[in-house]
Amino acid sequence: MAVTSFTFALFVAALLHASVARSQPVAVEASQSGGYSTEEIAAVATQFRGFGEVTPARLRFNVEAAWGTRTAGRTDVFGTAYPYTGPLQIIEAYGERTFLPGGALFGVKAGRYRTPFGISSASDHAYMGFMRAPLIRYDNYFALSNTFLEHGVDLIAGTPHLSVEASAGVPGDVGTAIRRPGLNTVLRGQAAFGPMIVGVSRIDTQPYQNPRFARGNAVFNGIDVRFMQDGVQVRGEWIDGRPFDGTTTTGGYLDLIVHRPRMGPVTAVARAERLFYDAAPPFAMSVRRYTAGTRIRIIDQLAAQVALVHQSRQIPQRRPTALDLGITYSIRR
Amino acid sequence: MRWLPLVVGALLSASSPSATVGSFELTGTVHAGGRPKGDAIVWLEPASGRAAAQAAKAKKVVLDQRTSTFFPHVLAVQVGTTVDLPNNDRVFHNVFSFHDGKKFDLGLYPVGTVRRVTFDHSGLSRIFCNIHPNMAAYVMAVDSPYFGVSDSQGRFAIASVPPGTYTYHAWRAGAPEVTGATTVEAGKPLEIAWP
Repeated sequence: MAVTSFTFALFVAALLHASVARSQPVAVEASQSGGYSTEEIAAVATQFRGFGEVTPARLRFNVEAAWGTRTAGRTDVFGTAYPYTGPLQIIEAYGERTFLPGGALFGVKAGRYRTPFGISSASDHAYMGFMRAPLIRYDNYFALSNTFLEHGVDLIAGTPHLSVEASAGVPGDVGTAIRRPGLNTVLRGQAAFGPMIVGVSRIDTQPYQNPRFARGNAVFNGIDVRFMQDGVQVRGEWIDGRPFDGTTTTGGYLDLIVHRPRMGPVTAVARAERLFYDAAPPFAMSVRRYTAGTRIRIIDQLAAQVALVHQSRQIPQRRPTALDLGITYSIRR
Repeated sequence: MRWLPLVVGALLSASSPSATVGSFELTGTVHAGGRPKGDAIVWLEPASGRAAAQAAKAKKVVLDQRTSTFFPHVLAVQVGTTVDLPNNDRVFHNVFSFHDGKKFDLGLYPVGTVRRVTFDHSGLSRIFCNIHPNMAAYVMAVDSPYFGVSDSQGRFAIASVPPGTYTYHAWRAGAPEVTGATTVEAGKPLEIAWP
């Protein structure tokens, strides 16, 4: 990646200086996470985030960087939202401005940002009980990677309850799934009805697989639903598309996340998911995975996660059933 | 009659707490381990026999949600204050408080909309978002009109404090509450220190 840690440091320093010069609030967060899975995989990662607002333009900025390392290479264990491929990398660095004229909603975002397809994985940083990306969002299964990043411009228009979002850019991916250069477009529509949010997304992009066999564009369509009431959240995505010409990948997941008043610091989570990869044998896959777990906020800055995972034997792994343990410590200044 | 608004304004001003005769701004600093500490809340309880705390002012108090973060991270309000929790982000939030203090669940709400919560009893409320687990804030409701939050240099200021003897309380995240007695008088700062 052309953007080095030094450039990142300069960028953050410039943003902080610009904001401080105008006496605007700037926040910096750091999260340290570590995990161990009975698949005999251990991981540690650090995430930094700086964000704030520059007036009088009311331009918000967000910079996020992450570093991670893991005792195994190609695995989705602990890979919820960013890769474990060594040095500090910029995950996001963008500015955004939102307008709310007369009940309407308009927004523009430019820079480096997560691909706005489906339910954003950014909120899964440092684990929320699930410590693996959904099968359909993990790149090693010919799916739509959750570490795709765009260098581009993203526009949103509509109302707070009904909006359309369009992004155009070039790939800025991190990790092992690096798309070829070219124009990416993402379209997303989202509607909210009381406690429910429904979204549809479409991405037309370049494949990340070897160009010797992966020809054509990668195109995926998805529908996502979130429902939340009284501390019970149900969310899911179903995605269908082709990672490259001549193949299709279809799959989705359904999550249940429960945090009721009597549960105190405990959040219970469960996930059921499926993935189908339709390709010539022996590459075709039809797999399932089930997860049950919990996230416990031990103190305000410290959270522990435990997840029991049972998955199809066709998924590369040491055992079909595994226990993932994670811990996250977050600080903010 | 052009002078009427001026007279009315002057009367209102004279009757407001900020214009209490002899009151002044109490300043001070907060330290922990010898270093200045921000986001600490300091409040004063009038000594017994004094007038009860004034009713919560009608001033608008906001706990904003921007960039998947609460601003400010630590908020102090007087008991009875209604706090606006606007969603000024580009994503939905579901703000809740289930632990101590005020318990509520505001449900999903989109950008451009506001939910309100009245903190009707004293104590600390820990505020979170059900969708974004890293979002966290503290709201301390105090049964006193005399309170302040320290800045990053550890400095705080409490407006319109009448001179006299008070019990002070100081709170910051992850530390026990500090309590003591102080006499408030002009030019005398209040120094709060955690070991």
